[in-house]
Amino acid sequence: MISRLLMTLQVVVPPPQKLGAVPHGTRLVAPIASGTFEGPRLRGKVLPGGADWLLLRSDGVLELDLRITLETDDSALIYMTSFGLRHGPPEVLAALARGESVDPSKYYFRTAPRFETSAPQYAFLNRLIAISSGDRRANGPVYTIEEIL
Amino acid sequence: MHKLEVLEEGRRPISVRRRDVLKAVAASVVASATSALTGGAHSAGADDLATGKGTAMNSRPLMTVRIAAAPPQKLYTVPHGIRSIVPVTGGDFDGARLRGQILPGGGDWLLLRSDGVLELDLRITLETDDHALIYMTFQGLRHGPPDVIAALARGEAVDPASYYFRTVPRFETSTEKYAFLNRIITVGVGETRPDGAVHKIDEIL
Repeated sequence: MISRLLMTLQVVVPPPQKLGAVPHGTRLVAPIASGTFEGPRLRGKVLPGGADWLLLRSDGVLELDLRITLETDDSALIYMTSFGLRHGPPEVLAALARGESVDPSKYYFRTAPRFETSAPQYAFLNRLIAISSGDRRANGPVYTIEEIL
Repeated sequence: MHKLEVLEEGRRPISVRRRDVLKAVAASVVASATSALTGGAHSAGADDLATGKGTAMNSRPLMTVRIAAAPPQKLYTVPHGIRSIVPVTGGDFDGARLRGQILPGGGDWLLLRSDGVLELDLRITLETDDHALIYMTFQGLRHGPPDVIAALARGEAVDPASYYFRTVPRFETSTEKYAFLNRIITVGVGETRPDGAVHKIDEIL
């Protein structure tokens, strides 16, 4: 699969809202307070108001379902969604849960972002498939997002 | 396979000859992989692509899926674009870790957006050669130079490097042997052939 860097996205996540056991698994809602993104073709900040709707499934896989709004440094708005999966060895996930720094190669954390924008200079985002690799850090995840060529 | 002629109505006149596009993509593997973007006016950052900045993502082949479909049900203009529903009648898939048949009954809910991009929204059931059932969905995008898309609509064989056709498949199964499918993110490179669509799906590692 051939790809190239689209951007690196870092979001700041306050403590999640824990909804507990729901029919599909264990639900957490993690509001996104802020963040930044930077790449060769776009950069800017994450607006408050988005969130990640997390679901821990019965097979131990964490499903991520993110919706955020990006604002570029030239004031364009980009709606971004991302569906992803995170899983790994129990001791690695336990370390992440304790907020420890963990080598991201020790667990699987991949997402498929999608974008919507009306800004002509960023319309290429409407037309691409992207894949990101996540790194769960103490104050929030960092996503390296690649455009699939 | 289904023809998408209804979806091509109202497109711009041909501005790039297909022969020129194909000539342009023959230069290298990287250029070929990126030609869908360099071949049309819809590309931002085409200069970057022309210099071959794409790199190999850490992935490995999962399987190739060949889909047989009935003629599309044409719903024409709906609020989000032009809708066609393509019933899936069969097909097959094979890879190093799984192979089998596509069961009839699924479909691809196609939407041609106002920006000329075709959105795909597929739901099918796979049956492996050892009788496990796998529910597969994908969402995807297809777009390219107008003449290439027109050739596809006429049912012609077109070099898949001359257009962009990518999907993000997802899987559900209860079978332990194939449970790894529940846990992976994948990407498909699609090809519209006269006799159906073929998707080469890679697991993202």
